[in-house]
Amino acid sequence: MSGARQPVLEARIESFRFDGSRHPILHGSHLQLEPGTLNVIVGASGSGKSTLGAVLAGMLPRPGLDLLHGQLRLDGQQIDHRDGQGPRIDLAVWARHVALLPQEVGQYLSGIRETVAEELAFGLENIGVARAQMRTRVRSVARQFGIEPLLERAPERLSGGQQRLVALAALSIGEPQVLVLDEPLAGLDALAAERVRQVILELRTQGRAVVVLSRLPDALTGQADASFRLQDGTLWPVTVWPASVPPAITEWPAIEDPATLLAFDHVSAGYPQQSAAVLEDFSLRLVAGECLGLAGANGSGKSTVLKTAAGLLPPRGGTVESCEDIGLLLQNPADQLFERTVRREVSFGLPRGSLHRQRVERVLDELGLSELAETHPYELPVSARRLLALATVLVREPRVLLLDEPTEALDEHGLERLHRVIERRLAAGGAVLFSSHDESFMRRTAHRVVRLAAAPGRSVTRQQFGDL
Amino acid sequence: MPQADQLHPFTVLALATAVLTITTAAGYWPLSLAVIVGCLVLATRHRCLGKLCALSALIIAPTFGSQLMVHALFTPGPSPVLAQLGPFELTGAGLWLATQLALRTAVLVVVGLLCALVIDRHRLIAAIDLSKAPPQLGYLVAATLSLLPQLSAKQHAIGQAQALRLGHVGRGPVGWFQRIRLRSVPLVLGSLQDAADRAPHLAARGFPAAGTHTRLREVPDSTIQRVLRRVALICAVAGPALILTLDRFSG
Repeated sequence: MSGARQPVLEARIESFRFDGSRHPILHGSHLQLEPGTLNVIVGASGSGKSTLGAVLAGMLPRPGLDLLHGQLRLDGQQIDHRDGQGPRIDLAVWARHVALLPQEVGQYLSGIRETVAEELAFGLENIGVARAQMRTRVRSVARQFGIEPLLERAPERLSGGQQRLVALAALSIGEPQVLVLDEPLAGLDALAAERVRQVILELRTQGRAVVVLSRLPDALTGQADASFRLQDGTLWPVTVWPASVPPAITEWPAIEDPATLLAFDHVSAGYPQQSAAVLEDFSLRLVAGECLGLAGANGSGKSTVLKTAAGLLPPRGGTVESCEDIGLLLQNPADQLFERTVRREVSFGLPRGSLHRQRVERVLDELGLSELAETHPYELPVSARRLLALATVLVREPRVLLLDEPTEALDEHGLERLHRVIERRLAAGGAVLFSSHDESFMRRTAHRVVRLAAAPGRSVTRQQFGDL
Repeated sequence: MPQADQLHPFTVLALATAVLTITTAAGYWPLSLAVIVGCLVLATRHRCLGKLCALSALIIAPTFGSQLMVHALFTPGPSPVLAQLGPFELTGAGLWLATQLALRTAVLVVVGLLCALVIDRHRLIAAIDLSKAPPQLGYLVAATLSLLPQLSAKQHAIGQAQALRLGHVGRGPVGWFQRIRLRSVPLVLGSLQDAADRAPHLAARGFPAAGTHTRLREVPDSTIQRVLRRVALICAVAGPALILTLDRFSG
């Protein structure tokens, strides 16, 4: 498909090492991106995907700190990095050619624009594009991504999935030749994910080189012009991906005469700064030994259900009854982490000598975090950060475990650990309520699924998975 | 009368500057009082009277207290003693002087706070970006004005996460101080980390703009407002000069 076209970007990475690190995180990798191609790079958590993305986007190495040996060639212009010596890249100029969407989209959004429309236009404003032209491009990209109804809303008040769509739209509005997308489908509902997939394919048709960094092979992998696996810091070309085996559906033991641990009775709920309710007339019952999935489009109120269940949002109407022993994993793990090391983070707020305190090492081990116990939470890969946030909840052994998008950013190992955590909680007589867009995980793990209606502020619907 | 949100932010700021410099230079208590009453009326129209009163009281009350201690309790001279407690005497002249000085400060506080409450920060940033001011000024103002809301949102998120893990922290001043202590370190460290994470992406999006830049947002302006701003700024400079000159000549 690519033929003999000149690559728009070529990266030869002999080695890349972060400041203060002894071992290179990337080495012996060569990547050549031709216009009009889709390039998928799959790698487990911590394999160096995000680092590779940042190197391609000119954000790494940080001058005077990190060490890169290798060359980047953009549009025929070669940049040599050797022994920490290399030209200082003007990010604003480089990003007009190679733009990066980070895995945590909150880092991409400016935080200083009031509306989504302004956020989309932000990059154009900074290079002096005329207002009339900006309006046309904002409208066009909003239509392309299906985010027209969001244009006048505040970016920071959107759901995680909506923010990802907005960031992706803002990235593509500048029409860079190369788009590096780190987990572009994470946190998106099926409709939004399909729309983003279509947009990525459209961008390829328009002659852009698209790089998708992903933790698992997905629907885009099958349509890629070039595929790679990033393993131990090295890129390996992949011609055929092994066929994925759907995980076995868990056979949960029957629940006999279970106690109700959480009950919503005709609840309406919303956020203090918004007059409109997100949930209306919502009822739900969660019993001991039950795992219940919450599905629904981005912005449909899944996080609101979980926050209301945890007592973070008082219901505006109806009643919520729950056992006192309840723990919540927030959607954004960064919101849940504030200590200096992984061990301190899990131990936070636990009295010395208490039973909970004694569980810290066991929980770290259960989630594969023991070796990282002295690492700063911000230095962890996103997947490990999510597991750490989960550890802070599990160490208290809550009877009801509430998980907001727990599968997001988790690789295969992480998903397996999460599944085992849920199994143990149920076996111990607890219950789990989780929201997810990962239908395969939901199908495998949940007893039943509650689907929320797409439009916020309207009554929600409940359906069994078998009915779908 | 147009609402402040219909006026260009620079017009509101220019009028406020003129009012402040003239009132301060005049040092005439009925004028200070009139300005404060005017501000309260405007605050009522903008539905922010309660907020203005509460915030102003927070600043003015300690200011008045300190003026009272400096002037009212130790003012020498023949003035009737209103109250006495040990060596301290509250005199009529001292109380009057303290009130006049506090009123002068109150004008600064009330006008400043009213501007902060009625001027939309996004319109102000856009107005600076669209003006001939250097782009660095827009960047500085945007960063400064965005800091508080971002800190507030982060503080809220940290508070929620800690509430989930700490359970009951306690009520009253002790609980309040405990919450502040627990939140402040992660708030500062988290905010620094956020800034570091966001900086390369802002730079990649060309912010702050190095050359010509535009804004999607329009901030309507008019010839009348431009004239009004010039007149206000002339008054802000010439008014106090005239008042001080007249004062000097009248002895």
